[in-house]
Amino acid sequence: MADDKKPRALATQAAAKIPKFVRGNMSATLKAKEEGKKVAYAYINDGQDEIMRAMDIVPAWGESFSGVCAAKRDAEQYLQKAESDNFSRSLCTYATCTLGFDMLREEMGGEMPPGAPWGGMGRPDMIIGSGQQLCDPRFKWPQATQHYLQDVPVFVGSMYYPPWDPNMDHKGQEKIYVKYATEELRACVSFCEKHIGKKMDWDKLAALVDLTDRTWDIFIDTYELRKAIPTPMDTGDAMNTMVPLTFNLGTQEAYDFYADLNLELRQKIEQKQGVADEEKYRILWGAGLPSWFALGDFQYFNSKGAVFPVETTYRNAEKVERLNLPKTNDPLEHIAWRWVRFWTHWYDKARNRPGSIPKVERIIEYIEDYKCDGVVFHSAFSCRSWHAGIVQQAEILRKIYKDIPVLIMEGDIVDISSYNEADTHNRIDAFIEALETVRSKGN
Amino acid sequence: MKGKKMMEQYGNGLALAEKHYSQYGSRAKALKAEGRKVIGYLSALAPVEIITAAGIIPLRLKGNVSEAITKADAHMETIVCPFIRNVFDTALKGKYDFLDGMVLPHQCDSIDRTNDVWSYNLNLPYWHFLNFPHLTDDPSIEFTKSILRIFIDTLEKYTGNAITDEALVQAVKAHNENRRVMRELYSLRKADYPLISGAEMMKVLVAAMSLPVEESSALIGDVIKEVKLRGVPNGTSLSRIMLIGDQIDDVAIVETIESAGANLVMDDLSIGSKMYWADVDITPDPVQGIAERYLKKLKLPTTCITAGNNYQENLEARFGHIKQNIKDFKVDGVVLFIYKFCDPYGFEVPAMKSFIETAGVPVLYLEDEYSSSTLPRMKTRVEAFLEMIA
Repeated sequence: MADDKKPRALATQAAAKIPKFVRGNMSATLKAKEEGKKVAYAYINDGQDEIMRAMDIVPAWGESFSGVCAAKRDAEQYLQKAESDNFSRSLCTYATCTLGFDMLREEMGGEMPPGAPWGGMGRPDMIIGSGQQLCDPRFKWPQATQHYLQDVPVFVGSMYYPPWDPNMDHKGQEKIYVKYATEELRACVSFCEKHIGKKMDWDKLAALVDLTDRTWDIFIDTYELRKAIPTPMDTGDAMNTMVPLTFNLGTQEAYDFYADLNLELRQKIEQKQGVADEEKYRILWGAGLPSWFALGDFQYFNSKGAVFPVETTYRNAEKVERLNLPKTNDPLEHIAWRWVRFWTHWYDKARNRPGSIPKVERIIEYIEDYKCDGVVFHSAFSCRSWHAGIVQQAEILRKIYKDIPVLIMEGDIVDISSYNEADTHNRIDAFIEALETVRSKGN
Repeated sequence: MKGKKMMEQYGNGLALAEKHYSQYGSRAKALKAEGRKVIGYLSALAPVEIITAAGIIPLRLKGNVSEAITKADAHMETIVCPFIRNVFDTALKGKYDFLDGMVLPHQCDSIDRTNDVWSYNLNLPYWHFLNFPHLTDDPSIEFTKSILRIFIDTLEKYTGNAITDEALVQAVKAHNENRRVMRELYSLRKADYPLISGAEMMKVLVAAMSLPVEESSALIGDVIKEVKLRGVPNGTSLSRIMLIGDQIDDVAIVETIESAGANLVMDDLSIGSKMYWADVDITPDPVQGIAERYLKKLKLPTTCITAGNNYQENLEARFGHIKQNIKDFKVDGVVLFIYKFCDPYGFEVPAMKSFIETAGVPVLYLEDEYSSSTLPRMKTRVEAFLEMIA
């Protein structure tokens, strides 16, 4: 049984607090239903966090729910349910897991399916999607959900960023993208006002936007402490500590969490407490969502003396001052600038290195700043958004930077049928040998 | 007109369609040898009017379902849309070496996330990722106009020539005429005994997207004249099937359906009726009409249509055209053929399937590859479906 599984060891006390956060977010949706508050199905990196928080809308995060199901190895029943109504197994399993859950709950007349992990998610009063460049499920998942929750209104906004083109300066295009994103955020506010029956408190929104800026800043300051050797926290923990940034943005709790984590990491650095008993290799988690059912693989790396001081995944924030945002009194426009500039942040660097691309520049920056010896990518078969283009990134990295050891692991985010532990560990062993070989050659 | 001369040389429209189908891209290649520029494009979202107005030949890219992927896997993940992988593989093998450039409209993650992979490995003189949004509301139209103007600007810089509004209007008219004649050809399939088979139609559709627009229209016009001369065939009428999917551009699937004892009389494909049913309005600013056509009128699952006051009205807005075509073309059954790893189409399957079935028309849903290697297993399911609806 899933609950009998031995808990994964964590390096930080902060990461150990995360299950409480996740459980709290899920139970908040159930409590909201009792209190008459509005619950909205929401999707990560939507840019709409502050709007929902300012209007007291309780977000129900589908990706989080599916991740919990996967971590408890309890997603199969929901995946099968979705599959029974012709949702392919090749589709995003974050989405199909919650779709299966929704289907079961509707069949039970709105009652929670028995055994739903951590009490399950409350039935939404609205669905707030964002048709953006993060992924196609941003706008298809809400539509597909409405097929089973036909009385629930759906809003889908838009937030794009200028495409990377080595021959075109993106800065001339940014204003077009920000104007568009701002108008879509305004439409989101109107939708929320209509469905909750009250007007936006713009002062509250402005305060929450400022709080988010500060949360982004302290998040980056804290994560950059991991440059220390030995690193006080690795990606195994970061896959947990991303929760406040990802699912609690625009709340004081999120800010306070990173303030506490910051203190803890400083103490560990002072005491030279590392993640591995002996830190032999430092690895960058180059891309890809993790297999939530196999987070123990990070410990397997650690047992070989390999640590991950940095990752690109879930590090969806940047120091606000580095983004050089234009001043504006419109909090929605500020949100738009913040996100557009986050996505274009590595464009100039890439343009300055012939043959490079922004994603590879980010990897190179992290390899150098965090003194990494190799790169691990994870390719999840059900998600094209994060996982298409990884092979190319590895190819370009080797071509324009150096022949650094690279491992591409294969699996999924939720569907455990894709996973073979013995094979995965064999590949990790071979990768560790490659790291050792490079080191013995004195590179 | 050179195209007209070529058709006279080959005798009739269907034979010429067969030639351009089997030697895909040969006309564009010949025109390139004569000094014209050719730009390849992916998906129904590419605004061909703008390419034509730039004096460039637009060539829609297709793969080869009979060709195993041998080169693409070194650069592009197998979780990417099998059609995209196959076209990329085809390009890597040199099939499109004569192109001057490519346009990749942002249709889906499989295109968005592999734009770098294509441009890096093919290294063509001109490259453009056209960042179409997924929504169809007013701000999205304004945004689309902006990105279309950026596209126009890049083409002007590449060719060194301005794209005037007059050139855009002329191109719009030419492509609208192309759509009109293709709709006329489609109408010949409404009869109890369609004048053109599904397999023949597929070859015309593929040939049409490989030619300069005037030549394409001339070809379709010749096919219309030719098939109208056909008498009404004898025998019993067969089950009438509609095929729904994205870029199904090989006759093998159609032959699988028709050889099992049915007529493919209508489609909702991105190289078929999806492309030809909607015209560009002639607007004072031609970019406005182009933006509205591609964003609002094209019924692609990659745009998020939120119209309607309730869910049923929303379904009508998204799929009502399919139900109308089922009625107009007297369709008995629908084959919904979706490529594996396709989120935009895949997430619509339950909604679309149940919507169509409310019209009393059964739906066979197939998820498969862009490859003829999997056709035998599909044939069995198609045969069983046809037996069921007979």
